[in-house]
Amino acid sequence: MGRVFEWQLVESEDWFDKIVELHSGGFTYFDFLTGVDRENGHGDPGFEVVAHLAKPDLSDSLIIFTRVNSELASVTDLIPAASWHERECAEMFGIEFTGVATKPLLRHEDLGQPPLCKSTVLAARVLTPWPGGAELEIMEDGRKVGNASRRRQRPPGVPENWFSA
Amino acid sequence: MKHSFIALIEDKCTSCMLCVRECPAWCIHLDSHTVDVSEEGARRPKKVNVLDSFEIDYSLCMYCGVCIDVCPFDALAWDEHRALVTTNRDDMLLGIDELGPSGSS
Repeated sequence: MGRVFEWQLVESEDWFDKIVELHSGGFTYFDFLTGVDRENGHGDPGFEVVAHLAKPDLSDSLIIFTRVNSELASVTDLIPAASWHERECAEMFGIEFTGVATKPLLRHEDLGQPPLCKSTVLAARVLTPWPGGAELEIMEDGRKVGNASRRRQRPPGVPENWFSA
Repeated sequence: MKHSFIALIEDKCTSCMLCVRECPAWCIHLDSHTVDVSEEGARRPKKVNVLDSFEIDYSLCMYCGVCIDVCPFDALAWDEHRALVTTNRDDMLLGIDELGPSGSS
């Protein structure tokens, strides 16, 4: 508990070499690799890929991260166990890991956009009635009060044209 | 304070719907109506919201506390009650009577 992790930014083209370097330097425990969608509506800078490597006795560890647009070199040749994480990252964020044949992990290929991208709209958000859409300013006798022309409320995370019906 | 339950302090709720709209799990349902309240000396009657029903679906709630944060009237609060463990999903839909803070009922 209370452990402070060291973070290091790596250029995406140096990603593979950096992991080779760490691996040969004793960081042979590949803890995890995952993606982060930094989209935030600003466009740039796309995704980050984060990986945590440690020495097997946990005496030293390092979290490296890099900015990627859509693809990154796979480290599966060096660390076979990275395959699971890369495949997960590929299907959840749509990041392509080059240098290996990435098979889908859990999702069916036809299931549409990667679900952890911020740009992906959850279908359940459209199919489920939003409790916040209720019109409340109704008098006991059924009269409506308040500003009737007020713009219709829309639930967060659902694009405007999804609610045309 | 344990974060095991979100309690409703009914008297403070103005049916403003902020919690319902901000809830990321869409687990709060609220219904209300408006009544005219005449006050002495006032030119026109005041419109006041009356809370009819308030439900939290604890089968969906993820205890994020956003509703508590956004409530401008502190009508929602963490509580040490616990939503019952049950095999029936309907039992996890708690209304005004079950949502009172501990010690109130």
